[in-house]
Amino acid sequence: MTNFPWLTTIILFPIAAALLIPLLFRNDSSGKKVRWYALTVAVIDFCIAAYAFYEGYDFSNPDLQLVERYTWVSELNLQWSVGADGLSMPLILLTCFITTLAILAAWPVTFKPQLFYFLMLAMYGGQIAVFAVQDMLLFFLAWELELVPVYMILAIWGGKKRHYAATKFILYTALSSLFILLAGLTMAFYGDTVTFDMSEITAKHFPLNLQLLLYAGFLIAYGVKLPIFPLHTWLPDAHGEATAPAHMLLAGILLKMGGYALIRMNVDMLPDAHIRFAPLLVILGVVNIVYAALTSFAQRNLKRKIAYSSISHMGFVLIGIASFTDLGISGAVMQMISHGLIGASLFFLVGCTYDRTHTLLLDEMGGVGQKMKKVFAMWTTCSLASLALPGMSGFVAEVMVFVGFSNSNAYNPTFKVLVVFLAAVGVILTPIYLLSMLREILYGPENKKLVEHEELVDAEPREVFIIACLLVPIIGIGFYPKMVTQMYDATTLRVTSRLQTQLALMKAENVAEVPPFEVKKAPAIAALK
Amino acid sequence: MNDVFVQTCWLVPIYSLIGSVLTLPWSLGLVRRTGPRPAAYLNLLMTLFACLHGSIALSRIWNHPSQQLVFDWLQAADLTISLSVDISPVSVGALELVAGISFLAQLYALGYMEKDWSLARFYGLMGFFEAALSGLAISDSLFLSYALLEVLTLSTYLLVGFWYAQPLVVTAARDAFLTKRVGDIILLMGIVALSAYGAGLSFSELQSWVETSPLPSGTATWLGLALIAGPLGKCAQFPLNLWLDEAMEGPNPAGIMRNSIVVSAGAYVLIKLQPVFILSPIAEDALIIVGTITAIGASLMAVAQIDIKRTLSHSTSAYLGLVFVAVGLGHVDIAFLLLFSHAIAKSLLFMSIGSIIYNITNQNVTEMGGLWSRMPATTTAFVVGSAGLVGVLPLGMFWTWTRWFNGNWAVSWWLLGLLMFVNALSALNLTRVFRLVFLGDPQPKTRRVPEVGWPMAVPMVTLTAMTLLGPWVPQKWPYWLSATAPLGNAELPIVRYSIALIVASGLLGCIVGFRLVLRRAWARPLKVWLRFFQDLFAYDFYIEKAYNLTIVWAVASISKLMAWLDRYVVDGAVNLVGLVTVFSGQALRYNVTGRGQFYVLTIAIATGLLALWSFFGLN
Repeated sequence: MTNFPWLTTIILFPIAAALLIPLLFRNDSSGKKVRWYALTVAVIDFCIAAYAFYEGYDFSNPDLQLVERYTWVSELNLQWSVGADGLSMPLILLTCFITTLAILAAWPVTFKPQLFYFLMLAMYGGQIAVFAVQDMLLFFLAWELELVPVYMILAIWGGKKRHYAATKFILYTALSSLFILLAGLTMAFYGDTVTFDMSEITAKHFPLNLQLLLYAGFLIAYGVKLPIFPLHTWLPDAHGEATAPAHMLLAGILLKMGGYALIRMNVDMLPDAHIRFAPLLVILGVVNIVYAALTSFAQRNLKRKIAYSSISHMGFVLIGIASFTDLGISGAVMQMISHGLIGASLFFLVGCTYDRTHTLLLDEMGGVGQKMKKVFAMWTTCSLASLALPGMSGFVAEVMVFVGFSNSNAYNPTFKVLVVFLAAVGVILTPIYLLSMLREILYGPENKKLVEHEELVDAEPREVFIIACLLVPIIGIGFYPKMVTQMYDATTLRVTSRLQTQLALMKAENVAEVPPFEVKKAPAIAALK
Repeated sequence: MNDVFVQTCWLVPIYSLIGSVLTLPWSLGLVRRTGPRPAAYLNLLMTLFACLHGSIALSRIWNHPSQQLVFDWLQAADLTISLSVDISPVSVGALELVAGISFLAQLYALGYMEKDWSLARFYGLMGFFEAALSGLAISDSLFLSYALLEVLTLSTYLLVGFWYAQPLVVTAARDAFLTKRVGDIILLMGIVALSAYGAGLSFSELQSWVETSPLPSGTATWLGLALIAGPLGKCAQFPLNLWLDEAMEGPNPAGIMRNSIVVSAGAYVLIKLQPVFILSPIAEDALIIVGTITAIGASLMAVAQIDIKRTLSHSTSAYLGLVFVAVGLGHVDIAFLLLFSHAIAKSLLFMSIGSIIYNITNQNVTEMGGLWSRMPATTTAFVVGSAGLVGVLPLGMFWTWTRWFNGNWAVSWWLLGLLMFVNALSALNLTRVFRLVFLGDPQPKTRRVPEVGWPMAVPMVTLTAMTLLGPWVPQKWPYWLSATAPLGNAELPIVRYSIALIVASGLLGCIVGFRLVLRRAWARPLKVWLRFFQDLFAYDFYIEKAYNLTIVWAVASISKLMAWLDRYVVDGAVNLVGLVTVFSGQALRYNVTGRGQFYVLTIAIATGLLALWSFFGLN
C-alpha cells in the first residue's frame, strides 16, 4: 500500500465528510447524531494518519516522504503536491489528535450543531493541509482556507464581544498572509525557472538583499500567527471570546502553523537572511516570554490569562529557531508539540470551569476545588505541566531550547548570558501567575456568592477522558523525549547543518558589503507567456 | 560488582513511585468500600521493600568502589543528555536513610492522619516525595538531580497544600513553591552554563572537569553562585528561608520528612557540586557568608517563636547553614556528617512534637505545660532528640563537631565561635521549649492527655533508639562518609579547647534556658529594647514584610503596567489603525457623487502622479 495517497486521504476525508453533513443530518436540530458522526470521522481520520505514519514514514530519512504530486492547473504550473518530513509529520499527528479531542470537547454544543461540526471537520482537513502541502501557492490557499472556519466559529459561537474579536482575527491574519503570497510569488518567479514547489524553491539561491526583504515579509505573516510581540493583540481577544473547542484548536494547532512556517520558509529557504535576523528573533522571543508572562499575571479574566501564557511559551520557539544548533531547533519543534498538548488541556479546563461557574473573572471564583475535586486535580496537573515541571513535556522542550541556545556558536557569551537570564526570569514568572490563578480559582473557602446561584458539579467522565488523553503524551514525552525527537531528528539535523555551513561561510568571508540588489525583469516571466 | 541487588539499585525509587501510583484507586474515590487504609498499607509495604533492597545493596557494596549506570535520555546531534545513577556506599547509605526515615514517618502518619478523610491522597504524595528523595540520593546526573529537586518542590507544594481549604495553607504552599522554584531555575541556568562550558553533566565527572577547566574566574564565580541558588532555596537559607517556616502549615508527618531529609537533599546536591566551587573563591565565600548569616539569624528567630513547630523549623535552617559553611570551607565529609546527625535528631524531635499536637490539637507552646508525666515516651523522644542536636552529651552532633575540629585541615577561631553561638542558642531554645511544654503546671489544654497510640509510639521509640545509637556510626565506620582520616593534631590550642568550649556553650545555653523567666501569657515585655528584639525575632527580622514591599510589589506593579501598555498602547495602536480605516472610508464616501467628470479627474491626477513617480523614481 505504499502508493496509496495517504496524505491526500487524510486531508480530503474530513472535508468530504463535512460536505455530507447538510444532506445526512438535516433534521438533527439537537446535534445528538451529528456529533457522533463528526467524532467517528475524526477518529477514523486519526487512525488513517497513525497508520500512514506507522507504515510509510521512515524516521531516519530527512527528506519528504509520503509524497504525492498531481498537476492541478498546468498553465500555472500549480500542483497538488503533498508530503511530510520530520517537521510536518509530528504536527500532522498533533493536529489529528487535538482536533479529535476538540470535537469530543464540543459535545455540549446545541446551537446550530450541523454548521458547527461542519466547520470543525472542514478545519480538520484545512489544518492538516497547511502542514502537508509542498507547494507555495497551495500553502497560501490552505493557510487562507483554514481561517474561514475559525472566523465563523468565533463569530457565531463566541462570547459577548465575539464580533469584534472575530473581525480582528480575520483582518489581522488575512492582511498579514498577503505577505506570504507576495513573498511566495517573488520566490517562485525569481531566477530562471518558475516553480511553486517548496523543495525547488529551497534549492534556489537568492541574493541577500532580496532574502532580507522576503524574510521580513514572512516574519510579519508568521509573527502574527505565532504570535510575536507586538503583533499578538488579536490573540487575547480571539481566545477571550472563543468556546473551548475553538480554543483548543487555536492554541493547539493554529499557533504552531506560525512556528512551522518559520522553520520551513524563513530558516530553510532563506538561510543567509536568517543569520542576519536571528538576533532579532532571539530578542523578540525573550520579549515574548517576559512581557506576556508579566501581562498574564495582571489579567483578571481567566481566558485572557491563559492566552497570554500561550504567547509567553511561544517565545521559546523563537529562541530555539534562532539558536543554530540541532538541539535548539529540536527544542523549538518540541515546544510546539508540547504547548499544543498543554495549551489545549488548559483551555479545555477553562471551558470546563466556565460551564459550571458561568464567569471567567477570577474575583468571582474561589474555593471551587472543594466541590470539584477532579477538576481541581486536572487543573493542578495541567498547570504544573505548563510551568515546565520535570517529567512533563514542557520541561524537556524548555531545557532543550536553553541548552541548545547556550551551546550556540553564533552569539557571544554576554548576549547568551543575558538572554538565558531574562528567559529564566520568564520561567520564574510562569509559576507566579499560574499558582496565583490556581489559588484564586480552587483553593481557600468557597465563594458564597458563587455557590448561591451556580451548581458546581464535578467533572464528568468525558472531560476526565479528554484530559487523560492529553496528559498521556505530555508525561510520556517528559519521561522519554526520544519518543518524539526521533521522529524529526533527521530533518532538524539537515536544517541545522545547512544553517551551519552558511554560518561558517559567512564567518569565513566576513562579508559586510552586500552585493547590490539587481532590479531586472525576471526571465521567468518572459518564459511564462 | 555484578550483584543483582546492587545493579538494580535504581529500582528503589521506583518502588515508592509504584506505591504512590497504587494509592490512586483510593484517592480518586474508585474504591470506597474498604476506606482509605489499604492505600496506606500498600505504600508502607513498598517503602519496606525499598528499605530491604537498600540495606541488602548497602551491605553488598560496602567495601567496593562506586559504579555508575547510564541511560541516554535525550540525544541530539550536538549533545546527549544522559541520566546516570551512582552507586556507592555513600549514595546507597543516603538511599537507606531516606527509605528508613520515610518508613518511620509513614508508620507514624498511620496514627497521626488517622482521622483524615484524604489519607490515601496523603500516602500517595508521601510515596511521590520519597521517590524523588531516594532518586536524588543515587542520581549522578546534574539534570536528573535538577529534575528531582523540582519534583521535590512539587511534592512540597502538594503536601503543604494538603488541607487546601485553609486560608494560610494556600499562601504557604504557593510561597514554598515559588521560593524553591526561583532557586531551582537559577540552578538550572547554572547547569545549562556548565554544559556550555563542556562539563560532562555528571557529578562523577565534575572533579576531573574542574581540574582541566579553562574557566576565567569571573565566569566561575557567576557559575558557582548560580549553582548555589538551588540548594539555597531547598535548604531554606537566607534570603530564601521563609518558606520552611510557612510550610509548617502542612501535616506533621510530612514535616518530619521536610525538616530532616528534604532540606538535606538540597545540601546533598550542594555537596556533590562542591568541586565547582573550588574554581571560585567568591562562591566559596558566598557559601560561608550565607551559611553564617542563616545560622545566626535563624538561631535567633527560633528563640522568639511560640508555635511549637516553628521553634524547631528555624533551627533546621540554622543547622543547614552550618552545612553551607562546611561546604564553603571544603570540608565535605563534615557536611555529610552534619546532615546525617541533624536528620536523625530533627526527625525525632518532629515526631515528638507531632504527638503533642495530635493529642492537644494546639501548637501554641504558651498554652502547654506539665506533659512529662502524661507522655513519657514523647518526653524521652524530645530529650534524646535535643541531646542529639546539641553538642553537650556525646551524641550525634557532639561527635560531628569533634570530628570537624580534628580533621586534616586548619580550622579557625571564628568557626568555633559560630558553632558555640549556634550551640548555645539551640540549647537555650530547646530548653525553653522543654520547660514550656513538659515542665511546670498542666494548663487547661494539657490536663488530661494520654500517651499516643502504638502507630505513633513505635516509630518514635525506634527513632529514639537510633538517635542514641547514632554516634556509633562515625566511630565504627570512620571512612564511610569521609575518605580522610582524622588527624590527631591535638596539640593545636584550637583543637585542644574546642570540645570543652562547645560543651561549655551548650551548658551555658541550657542554664540560661532554665533560668529564663517564662511568660505564658500573651503579654509582651515592658522594656522597649526587649520588646523590640522579641518582635524582630518573632517576625523573622521582618523579611516577609521586606519582600512584600520590594519584590512582590515590584512584580505586581510592573505586570499591571505591562497589562496597561498592552491594552492601551500596543492594542490601542491596532484599534487606531482600524478606526482610521473606518473613518477615512466614511469620509471618502462623500466623494461618490455620481458625476463622471469627477471620477475622470481623480483618475487623471492619480495616473499623472504615478507616472511622475515612476519617471523620477527609476532614475
